[in-house]
Amino acid sequence: MVSMDPSIWIAAFFTIAATSYAFRDNVVFKFAEYTFIGVAAGHQIVMGIKNIRDYGWTKIMEGQIIYVLVFVLGIMLYARFHREYYWMYRFPIAFLVGNGVGISIRAAIHSDFIVQVAQTASTPLIGGGAMGTINAIITFVGAVTAIFHFIFTQENLHEGTLGYIPKIGRWLMLLAFGASFGNTIMSRFGMYQGRIIFLLRDWLQLV
Amino acid sequence: MSVWEKLTSLPREVVMGLVIIAMLIPALSPLGLPLMTGQMSQDWYDTIEALPEGSVILFDIGYGSGGYPSLGPGTIAAFHQIFENDLKLVIMATALEGTLMYPLVMAAVQPESNYGAVYGEDYVFIGYIAGTQTAMAGVLGDLHELVTNDYQGNPISGMPLMDNVGGADDFAIVAYVTTSGDVAEGWVYQAYSQYNRDVLGGTLSMMTTSIKPYYDSGQLLGIMDGVKGAADLEFLTGHPGDAIVSSDILTFTQTLVLIFIAVGNISWFMQKQEGSG
Amino acid sequence: MDYKRDIPLAITFIVGVIAIGDYYTGIEAVTQTFNVIKNWGIVLQGFALGLGAVNLFRVHGRRLSARKEGTDWYFSGWLLLMLVVFIGLGLVTGEYEQGATYSWLYNAIYLPLGSTMYSSLAFYMAYGAYKVLRARNFDAALLFITAVLVIFGNTPIFPAIYPGFFHMREWIFGPIVSGAYRGVRIGIGIGAVVLGIKTLIGMETGYLGRR
Repeated sequence: MVSMDPSIWIAAFFTIAATSYAFRDNVVFKFAEYTFIGVAAGHQIVMGIKNIRDYGWTKIMEGQIIYVLVFVLGIMLYARFHREYYWMYRFPIAFLVGNGVGISIRAAIHSDFIVQVAQTASTPLIGGGAMGTINAIITFVGAVTAIFHFIFTQENLHEGTLGYIPKIGRWLMLLAFGASFGNTIMSRFGMYQGRIIFLLRDWLQLV
Repeated sequence: MSVWEKLTSLPREVVMGLVIIAMLIPALSPLGLPLMTGQMSQDWYDTIEALPEGSVILFDIGYGSGGYPSLGPGTIAAFHQIFENDLKLVIMATALEGTLMYPLVMAAVQPESNYGAVYGEDYVFIGYIAGTQTAMAGVLGDLHELVTNDYQGNPISGMPLMDNVGGADDFAIVAYVTTSGDVAEGWVYQAYSQYNRDVLGGTLSMMTTSIKPYYDSGQLLGIMDGVKGAADLEFLTGHPGDAIVSSDILTFTQTLVLIFIAVGNISWFMQKQEGSG
Repeated sequence: MDYKRDIPLAITFIVGVIAIGDYYTGIEAVTQTFNVIKNWGIVLQGFALGLGAVNLFRVHGRRLSARKEGTDWYFSGWLLLMLVVFIGLGLVTGEYEQGATYSWLYNAIYLPLGSTMYSSLAFYMAYGAYKVLRARNFDAALLFITAVLVIFGNTPIFPAIYPGFFHMREWIFGPIVSGAYRGVRIGIGIGAVVLGIKTLIGMETGYLGRR
């Protein structure tokens, strides 16, 4: 028994249309592609305006008149499209960049550097049986040699006997990237399977 | 053209057609293969189990339609466990489509009828907040200063749950499920490093390797590893869903990929031998 | 002084320093100021969400008005129509994305398109595995080995036959992935901090656009 819900039929059409590109470029796919871009941009605007209402407009309504300044800055973003007044766009973008950079580097230095270095330094290389020792050594060697691989300011680090250190780093990274690739295959199939389940269960109602 | 050359030059349409067939067969007649749960998902499950009753979890829906097939089932399983354990949920979205993923997840979980949960008392959805890390820092810093209404525009000030939640200190744990690398890192930066909160992370499988160092160093207490992690959670929580169905399909599609890899490499090797001979 | 460039650079510096100061100083006044900056940032991000759509209006509006042959201008018209329909439905009802018609259209159009577009790379992964994933040399063989072992471990039937496949996958995600990616993560951390500092002190100005 096939679904009688028109929204399911439209969704099934767009699923098949978007998939069709895997076989060959065609006009149905192009239709789906343009639809997707239009809808995505429309949704983005709707959510943008809702965000402005919830976090900006309500503040003004509550009497925080200073928020008018944010609206002025927000409108200045659109000077980007004007040849003469382009420079005005730099004020809000400078604010966003300053905020984004400040908010992320203050914590990145802790999460990505201090904690990672401390973890590497504090893990005992020997202990936890033979397997535990082997694992700890591989992890330590992997972390240290991978960092060495990215030091490009000292050319001699990549030459002669010393050159084996970054080389080991590269080998271990390639092994890790292989794992990443294997997982990527699972990830992509995992996502497409959702559409197959939709087509068979919700549209054709075969399962 | 030798047989080896023929084997490496199958037309694209044939390869794609075989992939589709490999997806359709197990979807129509599932195999029901047993699952082996990974340590990362087990840790996610155990972390939630260990939370005392009434603890408040901040949960970020950081994905949209693209990530839903992979991450939606995992979110559903996680919510089942949370409501079963009488924990409280403050849900937000850092993804533009997050507010539209929320009803899909809730339609599957049905917290009111399945667990007697009450909106406003046991869970609240504060909606989408733009700005990724700025939004995270805003919610963890002073939630009421930033958010005044829930996703439908109702004031949060009168809601019993929200009256007890003001910022990071009131959350027992922060959990996120996302397709975005910025969000995956951002929660570790903001919740763990800035506000010293425990964090659980769910991402697409292809991102798992890049956030694994956070798990090793205890910055993430558990990882939901894409569709595999979702299937693990469905199994652990006893709520089988789409992710377990997907596991069966994965058996066929990934076996086909392995066959492709074998055929491609053997043919390439034999051609090389023939060339040098 | 070039106020068109220098004032924005000063804004970046001041806002960034306040954000960092909030973390390291714990001074109440700095935290209060930063709370305001965060809220402003969230509102500004809302404004920024419209930039892409305005650009689409410009590009496709031009194509539509020119109606040149071979440009698929009618698709541009369709794109703009969909854009306007979604904006209209979201704003006119005052319910934004929560409106019934909006949700209906989202579930019928955006959801299937979003998930299919995003996931159809699966087909190319399969094709790539068939055509490109070759153990051509030592480096490629390393990548090849773990890729194949992880696929074996990820495919439920193989661990069901021999659990060692799954344990091997878990082991690869242990020391191999942890070690190498920790090195990469430390590199990312150093890079992000250096780039951040360069941006704050005005040595990196790419975000300001053309001169």
